Amino acid sequence: MKKIENFVKHTFKDIPKEGKAELIKSVTQSLLEKIDDLVEDGMTLQAAIDKTVVEFGTVEDFFDVSKKADRKAKRQKTINHYKNDLLFSGVGSVTVVSILVYINLYFSPQILWFVIPAVAVLWWPLAILYNLLNKRENRKEDDNE
Amino acid sequence: MINSDVIRGHLESIILKLIIEKDMYGYEISNCITERTSNRFNIKEATLYSVIGRLQKKGLIAPYMGEKSHGGKRRYYTITPLGKAYYEQKINEWTELKSVIETLLED
Repeated sequence: MKKIENFVKHTFKDIPKEGKAELIKSVTQSLLEKIDDLVEDGMTLQAAIDKTVVEFGTVEDFFDVSKKADRKAKRQKTINHYKNDLLFSGVGSVTVVSILVYINLYFSPQILWFVIPAVAVLWWPLAILYNLLNKRENRKEDDNE
Repeated sequence: MINSDVIRGHLESIILKLIIEKDMYGYEISNCITERTSNRFNIKEATLYSVIGRLQKKGLIAPYMGEKSHGGKRRYYTITPLGKAYYEQKINEWTELKSVIETLLED
């Protein structure tokens, strides 16, 4: 019967700690009762365990769909946040680069050294863009589920 | 097969109704639902236990350990007075809802 307990533990491994142990205990108990009943009706133990596990469903069935919607909203919020970050980093790096260009052309127009710090500054918006695209990809995967 | 999203809001009432009829344990409830609907609706165990947990938290049903007529121990659920009152209210809501939907959808 360790099998069932492990199955239940595994199913609920990501839920909040509060009330988790109790939940696992009561669900395990109920599933064991079901197996008992099935065996009484003439099923083999292995078949009963398999049937019980297959029919249980997923942790999404256990919690309301609203939780899923919550997660989606949260993700959207993060994405919006990253969009703001991207805008900020874009404006910031453009400002820094134009100051560099100005100093460069004003004091030493014969050597175009501003390119080197400009490349360094450009990593800022690039990194944020990378993050934003990653988050979007994640959201798409979530939608397809 | 019935879309489980539609029936979800009524699962509480359904389970309360079954427990009012007689004290039952988890698997008995799910079996009973399957039987009565002639297999047109199967409640997933995961959904069932989450609803039972919720009802128990609200104090509408109470668990106790009992013996099956022949066989091992079972965790039975029984209705509380609060649960009965809640069920009455839900039934009124359902009757109302049913008549509204009927009025709107039927010719």
